[in-house]
Amino acid sequence: MVAFIVRRLWQAALVMLVMSLLVFLGVFVIGNPVDVLISPDATQDIRNRVIAQYGLDLPIWQQYLHFASNLLHGDLGRSFVYNMPVSQLIASRFPATMELAVIAVLLASLIGIPLGIYAGYKPESWTAKVIMALSILGFSVPTFWIGLMLIMVFAVQLGIMPAGGRGETVSVFGIPVSFLTFDGMRHLILPAVNLSLFKMSMMIRLAASGTREVMLTDTIKFARAAGINEWTILRRHVLRLISIPLVTVFGLELGSTIAFAVVTETIYSWPGLGKLIIDSITSLDRPVMVAYLMLVSLMFITINLVVDLAYAVLDPRMRHGGGK
Amino acid sequence: MTAPLLEVTDLCTYFEARTGTVKSVDGISFHLEKGEILGLVGESGSGKSITGFSLIGLIDKPGRIVSGSIKLDGRELVGLSEPELRKIRGRDIAMVFQDPMMTLNPVLTILDQMTMALQAHERISDADARLRAVEALRKVRIVDPELKVDFYPHQFSGGMRQRVAIAIALLHRPKIVIADEPTTALDVSVQAEILVEVKSLVAELGISMIWISHDLATVASISKRIAVMKAGKIVETGLAAKVLRTPSHPYTQSLLDALPSRSKPGQRLGAAASDHDAGSAAHPVAATVADPSFVVMAGLVKVFEQKRGFWARLSERIGLVKSKKPVLAVENVDLTIAKGEALGLVGESGSGKSTLGRIVCGIYQPTEGRVTLNNSPVMSAGPQSRKLTTNVQMIFQDPFASLDPRRTIGQSIAEGPIAHGLTSKAEARSYVAEWLKAVSLDPAFADRYPHQFSGGQRQRIAIARALAMRPEVIVCDEPVASLDVSIQAQILNLLLQLRKELGLTLLFISHDLSVVRHLCDRVAVMYRGKIVEVGTAEEIFDAPQEPYTRALLDAIPKLA
Repeated sequence: MVAFIVRRLWQAALVMLVMSLLVFLGVFVIGNPVDVLISPDATQDIRNRVIAQYGLDLPIWQQYLHFASNLLHGDLGRSFVYNMPVSQLIASRFPATMELAVIAVLLASLIGIPLGIYAGYKPESWTAKVIMALSILGFSVPTFWIGLMLIMVFAVQLGIMPAGGRGETVSVFGIPVSFLTFDGMRHLILPAVNLSLFKMSMMIRLAASGTREVMLTDTIKFARAAGINEWTILRRHVLRLISIPLVTVFGLELGSTIAFAVVTETIYSWPGLGKLIIDSITSLDRPVMVAYLMLVSLMFITINLVVDLAYAVLDPRMRHGGGK
Repeated sequence: MTAPLLEVTDLCTYFEARTGTVKSVDGISFHLEKGEILGLVGESGSGKSITGFSLIGLIDKPGRIVSGSIKLDGRELVGLSEPELRKIRGRDIAMVFQDPMMTLNPVLTILDQMTMALQAHERISDADARLRAVEALRKVRIVDPELKVDFYPHQFSGGMRQRVAIAIALLHRPKIVIADEPTTALDVSVQAEILVEVKSLVAELGISMIWISHDLATVASISKRIAVMKAGKIVETGLAAKVLRTPSHPYTQSLLDALPSRSKPGQRLGAAASDHDAGSAAHPVAATVADPSFVVMAGLVKVFEQKRGFWARLSERIGLVKSKKPVLAVENVDLTIAKGEALGLVGESGSGKSTLGRIVCGIYQPTEGRVTLNNSPVMSAGPQSRKLTTNVQMIFQDPFASLDPRRTIGQSIAEGPIAHGLTSKAEARSYVAEWLKAVSLDPAFADRYPHQFSGGQRQRIAIARALAMRPEVIVCDEPVASLDVSIQAQILNLLLQLRKELGLTLLFISHDLSVVRHLCDRVAVMYRGKIVEVGTAEEIFDAPQEPYTRALLDAIPKLA
C-alpha cells in the first residue's frame, strides 16, 4: 500500500511537470496579451515598459522557468486584468463552483443509482423502460438547451425560481455558501439540476447494467437459496458488487463538473470558476488561464488517487495484493 | 411405512421461449427419505439443475412450474407464495452450487454472509451470529474458525470455499440440502475429502441430501439410490450399485460406456461409436518408436516474478513494504517424448502442469533450460525470445475463450496457415474445409461464429485450428475438462483417430486420471512444480511407486 502511494505521488509529480509545459506552451500560442492590455495609441516607450514589467520580453524558456519557480514557491502570479494575485482570484470563485458541482454530482448519484438499480432489477417492467428511455434523453439533449428550458419554465413562465445569480450566502469557516439559506437554495436548485442530468443518466445506465449482470450470477442465486429477502440482497450484495464502476464515474464526474461547468455557469450567471476562465480567455489573461489549468490537473490527479484508494476499501481482493 | 420426507410427483417445469416451450423438467416423480442421499445424474441440459431449483421455488422467468406436486413433510410447496417459499429456503431446504468462487460474494467477509443468512430466518444479535458462524465453520472442519470467519472468500482455497458454502447451507440445520455439482470444480483429492465429510455430516446431522452431478462415479460413491435424468425425464432409478452394474435403460448404459475408466485404454469409447471400427488397435503408434527423444525438455525452470519499478524496489529496500516471493512454477523438469507418443501430464491445480505445457508450446519462455523439438529449439534464446516453430500447437480447455467471437471460425482457422504460408488467401476456403472434415465437422460451418456451436463442436474447431498449422506435436491442456461425458468420449475418440492418421505426438495435460490412462502411452505425475514419477501408463496406474501418485489414484471415486 505504501509503495503504491509513493509510486502514485511520483507519477503525479511527473504529470504535473508535463502539464505545466503543455499548458504554458499552449497558452503562449493563443495570442499575445500585449495587444489586448495596452491601448493601441500608447507610445512605444510605454509599450516597452509594460512588456518588460510583465516579463513578456524574455524568451519563452526563461518565462517558463520564472513561472515554474514561482509556482514551486506557491505563487501563481498576478492577473493582468484584475491586477490581483491569481490565487486570491481563484479562491474567491472556487467555493461557488465547488458547491454547485458537489450538489449536482450528489443529486445524480442519490437519484441515479437507485433508479438504475431498479431498472436493472426489473428490466422488463414498464417503469424500468421509462427510466432507461429518459436516461437516453438525458444523454443526448444538450445541456444548454435544458438550461434554457428550465429558465423558461420555472423562472419566466411560473416565476417560482430565480433565473440566475447566487443569491444570499452565509459564511462557514470564512467560505461563502448558498445551500444553507432559503434564497441560496432557490438559486442553486436549477443550475444543480441542469448540471446533474447528464451525470444522472450515466449513473442510471451504469447501475442498471451492473445490476442486471450481478442479478444473474450464482452469488445472488445462492443468497436467494439461503432465504435472504430481495431488499437485503439489493442493499447488501448488489450495491457492493456494482460500486466500483460507480465510484470511478463519481470521481471523474466530480472532477469534470468542477472543471467544466462553464456552460451551466454562463447560462445561470453563476459567479464560479467557469465564468472566470471564459473571461480570462477572451482577455488573454495568461496567468489566470495557466493557474486554472494547473489547478484542474491537480484536482484530477487527486481525485483519481482517492478513487484508487476507494477501490481498495471496496474490494478486499485488491487490498490483499490480488489474492490467489 | 411413513410418508417420505420429500415426495415429488409429476413435476413439470417449462420455459416459454419465443421459439416454443422448452420442457426442462417433464413429469418427474421421486421421493427422498429422511437421512438419505439421493444421486441425480444427467448430462448438461438434462434438467437436473432445474429440478433442484424447482424444489426451492427459484425458477427464473420465463420458466415456471406448470404442474405436479412437491410435498415436504406432507406440505405442498407448489403454488406457495414467494414470502412463504422464502421461509422454506435456507431453513428447510438449502442449496450448494458448483463453483464456490461464484456463489460467495467476493467483497463481503464470511461472517457478513453468514450473518445475513442467519438473520434471514432468525432474530439474532451480531455477537450470537458470530458464535454460530464460528461453530458452523468448525463443523465443516475449517481450522482456526475464529480467525477465518473474518476472511474474504478469495483467501480460501477452492475446497475450503466449498466447505464454507456447505457451512452456510447447514446454518439452519435444514431438512434437505440440494447439492448441485458441488465437487465438479475441485481437484480429485479435495473432492475425495469433501465426499467423505459430506457423508459423515449427513449421518451426524440426520439431514437428507440430493446430490446432483454429471459424474456417475462421484454419485455412486456418495449415494445409495440414484436417479438418471435425460431430457427432462427420469429414465431410471434404483439402488446405485444395481443401476450401475445392470442398467436397464439404454441411456444409462451409454453413459457408462462413455466413461474412459470403464473401457480398455486406446479403444474407441462407446457413446460416440457410430460407423468406425471399435478399437481395432490399442496404442497404434506406440509400437513403432522411431525417435525416442523427439521432444526434449531439459532442466526446465520457470519462475514467475512480479515486475517492480524503481519506487517499489526502493520502498522494499528501506523496509516500507514486504517483498513478494517469486513463484516457482516449474522446478527442474527433464522429460522426453518419443515421436508419435502420447505423454500424459497429470497433477492437481497449481502443480505447474499448464505452465510446463505452455513452455513446451513456446508461449512462455523458461527461466532456465530449454525445449527442443527434433533437435532444434522451440524458442530462441535471449531476453527478446520468440517462438521459432509452428510445429507445436496448443489446444486449450475452454474453446469459447480461445476463439475470437467476432470472427467466423473459417477466418480463425485460416489466420495462422495464411500468415505462415501454408495456404494462400485464395485457397484458404478449401484448406479450412479440409481440416473441418478431418475433425468430422460440416465444411459449411466455416461461415458461422463461435457462439453458434456447442461446447463439443467448439473443441473440434479448436483442434482443427491447431491441426491446420500442420504441427507434429500438439499440447492439449485439459481439452475435455469442461465437456459432458458423452461429448468428452467423442473428442477423445477424435484425438485417438487423428493421432493414428497423422502420426501426431501428444502432450496431454489433465487432472482426470481416467482420461489420461485411456489416451496416453506414458504418464508423468507432477506435484508442486516437480515431476515426481514417470512411467508407462500401466506402470503408473497398476504399480505406482511414489506415495503422491498412490494418493492421487486412491482419490478417484470408483464405480461400484
